Amino acid sequence: MPLAGLLLDLLEGLCVSAEIFALTLLFALPLGLVVAFGRMSRWWALRQVSRVFVSVMRGTPLMLQLFFFYFGPYYIFGIPLKPSYRFAACIIAFSLNYSAYFAEIYRAGIESIPAGQHEAAKMLGFTRPQTFFRIVLPQVVKRILPPVTNEVITLVKDTSLAFTLSVMEMFTVAKMAASAHTTMLPFVVAGAFYYVFNYLVAWGMERIEKMLSYYR
Amino acid sequence: MNKQIAAFAAAGLCAVLATSCSGNSGAKTLPEKGMKFVVGFDADFPPYGYKDGDEYKGFDLDLAREVCARNGWTFVPKPINWDAKDMELDSGAISCIWNGFTINGREDAYEWTEPYVDNSQVVLVKAGSPIKTLADLAGKTVAVQTDTPVQKALAPDGDCAELGKTFAGVVVTPNYNNAAMELDSGAVDAVALDVGVAKQKMLDLPGKFEMLDQTVMTEKYGIGFKLGNTELRDAVQKTFKEMVADGTAAKISAEWFEGKDVIVLAP
Repeated sequence: MPLAGLLLDLLEGLCVSAEIFALTLLFALPLGLVVAFGRMSRWWALRQVSRVFVSVMRGTPLMLQLFFFYFGPYYIFGIPLKPSYRFAACIIAFSLNYSAYFAEIYRAGIESIPAGQHEAAKMLGFTRPQTFFRIVLPQVVKRILPPVTNEVITLVKDTSLAFTLSVMEMFTVAKMAASAHTTMLPFVVAGAFYYVFNYLVAWGMERIEKMLSYYR
Repeated sequence: MNKQIAAFAAAGLCAVLATSCSGNSGAKTLPEKGMKFVVGFDADFPPYGYKDGDEYKGFDLDLAREVCARNGWTFVPKPINWDAKDMELDSGAISCIWNGFTINGREDAYEWTEPYVDNSQVVLVKAGSPIKTLADLAGKTVAVQTDTPVQKALAPDGDCAELGKTFAGVVVTPNYNNAAMELDSGAVDAVALDVGVAKQKMLDLPGKFEMLDQTVMTEKYGIGFKLGNTELRDAVQKTFKEMVADGTAAKISAEWFEGKDVIVLAP
């Protein structure tokens, strides 16, 4: 098959993968912080809800969650699905799933800040929000960047699960081209695309780490 | 186009020659014990017939071998140039064409057995849907399973591209069950699929789906013999039906189609 046509098809698929990637990060990164706060809340009930959420989201396959959020409204509540819901369900499932992982990373970062800093801030007259946003959070961001990079790179590769809901991301396009033309070439090209994508992600994250490594 | 006409003319000429001087070629036209039964096939059509290493293998070849064994014929698989199949058959170089051979569109060109495989592609809609014909599918969303004949046919360069163009969109699903769920939940308006699978889905979920009377593609496979050679055709068909009756055909099918019995020939 002509290489130019293949590249064009795969690039189109890559755009879909990149869209899933970007939207998931957009929603999962802040949502993770909310869940992390829930996990560390003073209220027992909120702590339990967040704990169960993280437990279920981490404990079941993302593929199953995609199914659940897409077909759930119909098979549980009898609401007929609209074609436009396909991509939305995909983003909902990805965002909720990744927010659980991010929440635990945030919690690790926040709990790693010594209690002495909170006490010192209190002595200096900082309110709780002030303490968090001005003293704790800047340090947390620096510390959690490596594990966050891990998750983000995993997300790039996980976008291939979107085909569970018939979303035509890059790996699906590659599989189709491979079977239509009986060649392994699409897989090689797709692999290269993923690698380049992840290389750029890792490079970007490393730059951010360097930028934040003041005081060293 | 010219090539085809030429091939037809040549085939016709061969037919005349073959009838006038029959009996000097390898394959006999009348069935008798010990005769060579030469199966013409395209060696590039798995799983029906193909070359695996030095051997010719395939679903159709296994069926043909069994037919020969039961009749005391010598089984000879003969890979042919697909464009020359009519000349091969009319000259008597091969006894029949047995190779996932589509009857539709060639009804009058060969002496056919009854169809033994139905590969038609049909459309399922929800029970009570206003969609009754293929034309009603205009502006609708249709699901197909990935890597199936109907997906290829509806693609812009496929055999049914004209129909495919009228759809609002084609949703490619990872498997048939997903396609059925998409239809059930209303995410798509119809599913185009293999008739065998469609019938199974309607059995599994009674009352949920309806099949359109019109088919996207009609494709039935039969065994093609030279026009007029009804004796051999009848002999093969009789043995084939015996194989269906005693379960041998189903067993051969299961070996090639992941345990499924694809044979629609009635015993």
